Amino acid sequence: MLAVWALASLVFLLSRWGPPSDESLGLSNAADLNVGTPAAPSARRQMRREALLRQGLAAPLFYFSRVADGSGARPVRWHWNGRRNQYHRWLGAVLRGNLGTSFRNGRPVAGRLGAALACTVPLTGAAAALALAIALALAAGLARRPWWRRPALALLAALQALPLFVLATGLLLLLANPDALNWFPTYDQADAGNGPAPLGFYLALPLLCLVLSALPELTLQLEAALAHELRAGYAVTARAKGLSIKQLIRSHALRNALLPVLPLIADLLPALVAGAVVVEVVFSLPGMGRLLAEAAAARDYPVLVGGVLLVGAARLLALLLADAGARWLDPRVL
Amino acid sequence: MRTPLLISLLAALLASCSEHSVAPNQPVRILWAHDPENLDPLVLPNPNASDANNLLHLSLLQVDYSTQRHAPALADSLPRVRLSGDSLTLITYRLRPAATWDDGRPVLARDVDATLKLMQGPGLPNEDARAQFSFIREFRPDPTDPRRFTLVCQGQAPEFAQASGDFFILPEASFDPQGSLRAYRLAALVDRPATAPPDSVLAAVARRYNQADPGQHPERISGCGPYTLARWEKDHRLQFRRKPHWWADALRPAPFVLRAQPRQLDFVVIPNEANATLALRRGTVDVYPQVPVREFRRLQASAAARQQLAFYTSLSYDVVTAGFNTRRPALADRLTRQALSLLFDAHALLRATQQGMGQRTVGLVRPTDARNYADSLPLLSYNTGRAAALLRRAGWHRLGTEPTAGWARPGPGSAPQRLALLVRYRAGETAFETIGLQFRAAAARLGIAVELRPTETGSFTPALHAGDFDLYIRLLKGNPFIFNFAPILHSRAVGEGNLTGFGTPASDRLIEAVAAAASPVLKARLLRKFQVMMREEMPLVPLFFRPNCLVANRRLSHLYPGGLKPGYAAAAITWVTPAVAAAP
Amino acid sequence: MRKPERFSLAGGGRALAWAWLGLITALAILAPLLSLPYPPAQPDLAHLAAPPLVAGSAHWLGTDPQGRDVLAELVFGARTAVGLSLAAAILAAALGALLGGAAGFWRNSGLHLPLPAVVGLLGVAWWALALPWADAGLALSTSALAISFLLRERGNLYLPVPLDAAVLGSTALLGAVPRLVLVVALAGTLTLSPAGLLAVLVLTAWPGPARLVRAEMLRVKAQPFVAAARALGLPAGRVWWRQALPHACQPLRTAFPLSLAGLLALESTLSFLGIGLPPEVPSWGRLLGSARLEPTAWWLVAGPGGALLLTIIALQYLARAHR
Repeated sequence: MLAVWALASLVFLLSRWGPPSDESLGLSNAADLNVGTPAAPSARRQMRREALLRQGLAAPLFYFSRVADGSGARPVRWHWNGRRNQYHRWLGAVLRGNLGTSFRNGRPVAGRLGAALACTVPLTGAAAALALAIALALAAGLARRPWWRRPALALLAALQALPLFVLATGLLLLLANPDALNWFPTYDQADAGNGPAPLGFYLALPLLCLVLSALPELTLQLEAALAHELRAGYAVTARAKGLSIKQLIRSHALRNALLPVLPLIADLLPALVAGAVVVEVVFSLPGMGRLLAEAAAARDYPVLVGGVLLVGAARLLALLLADAGARWLDPRVL
Repeated sequence: MRTPLLISLLAALLASCSEHSVAPNQPVRILWAHDPENLDPLVLPNPNASDANNLLHLSLLQVDYSTQRHAPALADSLPRVRLSGDSLTLITYRLRPAATWDDGRPVLARDVDATLKLMQGPGLPNEDARAQFSFIREFRPDPTDPRRFTLVCQGQAPEFAQASGDFFILPEASFDPQGSLRAYRLAALVDRPATAPPDSVLAAVARRYNQADPGQHPERISGCGPYTLARWEKDHRLQFRRKPHWWADALRPAPFVLRAQPRQLDFVVIPNEANATLALRRGTVDVYPQVPVREFRRLQASAAARQQLAFYTSLSYDVVTAGFNTRRPALADRLTRQALSLLFDAHALLRATQQGMGQRTVGLVRPTDARNYADSLPLLSYNTGRAAALLRRAGWHRLGTEPTAGWARPGPGSAPQRLALLVRYRAGETAFETIGLQFRAAAARLGIAVELRPTETGSFTPALHAGDFDLYIRLLKGNPFIFNFAPILHSRAVGEGNLTGFGTPASDRLIEAVAAAASPVLKARLLRKFQVMMREEMPLVPLFFRPNCLVANRRLSHLYPGGLKPGYAAAAITWVTPAVAAAP
Repeated sequence: MRKPERFSLAGGGRALAWAWLGLITALAILAPLLSLPYPPAQPDLAHLAAPPLVAGSAHWLGTDPQGRDVLAELVFGARTAVGLSLAAAILAAALGALLGGAAGFWRNSGLHLPLPAVVGLLGVAWWALALPWADAGLALSTSALAISFLLRERGNLYLPVPLDAAVLGSTALLGAVPRLVLVVALAGTLTLSPAGLLAVLVLTAWPGPARLVRAEMLRVKAQPFVAAARALGLPAGRVWWRQALPHACQPLRTAFPLSLAGLLALESTLSFLGIGLPPEVPSWGRLLGSARLEPTAWWLVAGPGGALLLTIIALQYLARAHR
């Protein structure tokens, strides 16, 4: 709880450090030749002041500020601003459950995040579950040292070496291209009114992409842990007692091998909420990653801070779950 | 084994779905790279929001894309302009008698009055509009005609005729049903200081308008334009439906600006270029405006795409410009600036970054504007030898004989000046990066150290405003209507739009004269003089005008592609007859 | 029981892996001495995104969308790969192992600091930040020193350090702050020197290894041999360093080679946002990133992607062969 608060406060303060640009205040660019009569420089300064005032950005940022004094022995001094500051107002609003409204369109942040989550969570959730299942199966298979182990490991490393956007664009150009294989539709074809089932179909390609990107690290780490376990004393004993390697993996080794991989699995949860910018941009999905990236680019701080709060909370939850999972897998862990 | 079968079945199903025949009433689907975010007619934060509002609302005057000029839209003719004394302009409009709001009430002068006051009222997101239209001081209704009115404008400028009609007229009944704003004088609102005590009437109007939330629910302040917003899925799709009975349908002959052909206009948001091109090829999108040149050329090269798509290019009004920070002592003299401008290989850069489209220029006037373009000036040519000679004339000398030796000259004090440049451009802009790399390589040949500093979008403008650069590379957006360079080159605009910090008494006088020139002949003469002066002073190096590329389905006609944004006339587009379109 | 030729094959593999890493390092050091057909960071405006091995052009591996020679960028990019990415991966793994290992070993109550020392540090921080009454900070730390001196016979008061909570909290913090926010915060205020860039990379990359090592440490700590070592009366720090940490670093063998790919991607994202390497410094990450502009230009991915893949496999091979 404390960590989430510290995190959100930090992002809030960091993101509002500099003066806001004209674009983030919804003002036109002064350095373009606009149609209409150009505003005089004094009018533009006035305009900026009014926009700041209307959006509540004219107040000081925090309870105290550091003022460069210039003269005297002390180069800086601290100025107490009282409770009329942006941070106090923001914190009060957040405690009342109000994340504020977006700078760009005045919509409540909570609604904006909710809409984006509705698109992101089915996709990332399915991807996480699928990646985990495939990784478990694949690692168990690899641990038996079949002939295809080496090529499979090389392939996984290659997948890891490929940047996500290359993978995504490659899949798009290969599998949803009228000039190549036009097997999958993309989300721009999705029209509202379709049920969830067709929607799932539109998400097939992004899903594949996310699974492929999450797979290498999970599988390789799990495989390494399994190999480590199979060399342990108890495994050798069990094998000597005539347990087949399949049984050994399934009933003993896998449980122990999961333990060091738990942080990786737990990391899937915050990723679930944070979305995947690259995949969402390439496949034009209106998801969380894109929302946050565009908010950061446009300096839309309320949306950004709301998103960070959400992701931070998910990450802490994931950490707690990982610890609980570790205790469940190995009761000796305190 | 079952999965591939399933996939191929679904693919076959999908393929059969996409080959439906075209009807003239079929929606026209246009591609956007970004969601418009906010459709409030007072805010208009981005070009997409402006284009969307053009479908929902009407202004007195609107751009006619067939002639690229302003034409009367809600006004029944171009306004009558009279000068009064030497500081006022009186502009008289008359609204079209046929114009009505959706509920059948006529559009009257008092709606214009209320809109103007809304644009100046406190507590509303209207800062931009406020600054832009503060030259309109007074609204004078005509006592004999409820549709005729006169706008009294402060100052005298030729652009007032167009600028005074370039805002969306909103229905008074939707935000001020009691007509409470009529009691206020426009000038009083324009001059109202931000610190004035709150006024309950104005606050009530602002509250009513803000509660309607027109940024997200444009239908609540419904305009007299031809379309309504039927659906808006954020970051995905906007759907505009043609009003079945629109007042302008009865006008004969129908003016171009009041043409609204498609029954439905869909805007599909696709941020990724590769996916956008695929959507066009797949036929899920019909119009792709402002196509990146690379994608344009790639599509043009494909035979299958050529069968399906039509390609249009025109010259835009956006000029890629490098600008010097003339406040820096090393760049304060024009000879140094002239020397450095010779290090840009504009010819090769145009060919490389715009794939041969676009056009080089000598100044900020478009080369196709035969009347105003200074065709007597030669284009700048890349010449490192001449650049070095110019630098020597400017008092610089090499600090050694080795190729990396820099340049210096005695400064006004005891400290010598060194020639080293910090180049800023927006991060992620490939074309600008190529320009920067070329400039850097050319400068390195002379031993001038150049540091490239791509700057993230949000910090770019503040950095330029703060003067934290030696040279910038950016896109200067222009338009065909107004030649007023005061916001970017007048010494009064230093610290605001004049990023170079340039300004001499002579240039200020000339810029003012260009803006005030009433007759086209005088304007052309002054503009040519201005271009010659800018070439001489060289605060900016205009490299080339960018092309505006448009790709659309072959079966669409009446797109009116042009250099003016958005580069097509959405409401005029029609499908060609099904008989022709039936051919595969 | 392995057959001898199998063994020699493994040895050959190891030699190959070392050879590849050696080649990369040699390229990094000797790049300026090689005579390549084109220098790096020079746009050839006549050949933009030209495919490799085209007749009449000396761009053997093609050019990128800016017209830079891919071969030159690859060779000079090895410098950045070794000097920045590899260095960042090593530092991040080391930092992560130390912090994660310590957090997993001592948890929240295992490590104690003397109270006066805490107060003294706080006082110094107070003074350094020039908070109001800065001299009060100095007075505080002096008095803390004095108290600790006075109390040294009677045994100090100790404060438990919530090490685990601190490490977990900061990993959560670094993981949740989107990179873009970091950029927003950094871009406006400073430009990154190479060392600063390395610091940013390490700062964003250490939480991964830290969590892995911490999780493994929780398990290792419960193993009998650690308990035995402590029962022998060895100091906790020694047990941690000698016995527990080497075992807890097991997962890093797999994670370390893989983290290289992530760091290259991060480095190219930072460049794309304008706070990474300056555009004239060649790097594999930038080369991979330029495929964004020219999705059909396979040669932009093949070169740096292949080099990265071989590096990952070589590192993996060595990590696996070592145990």
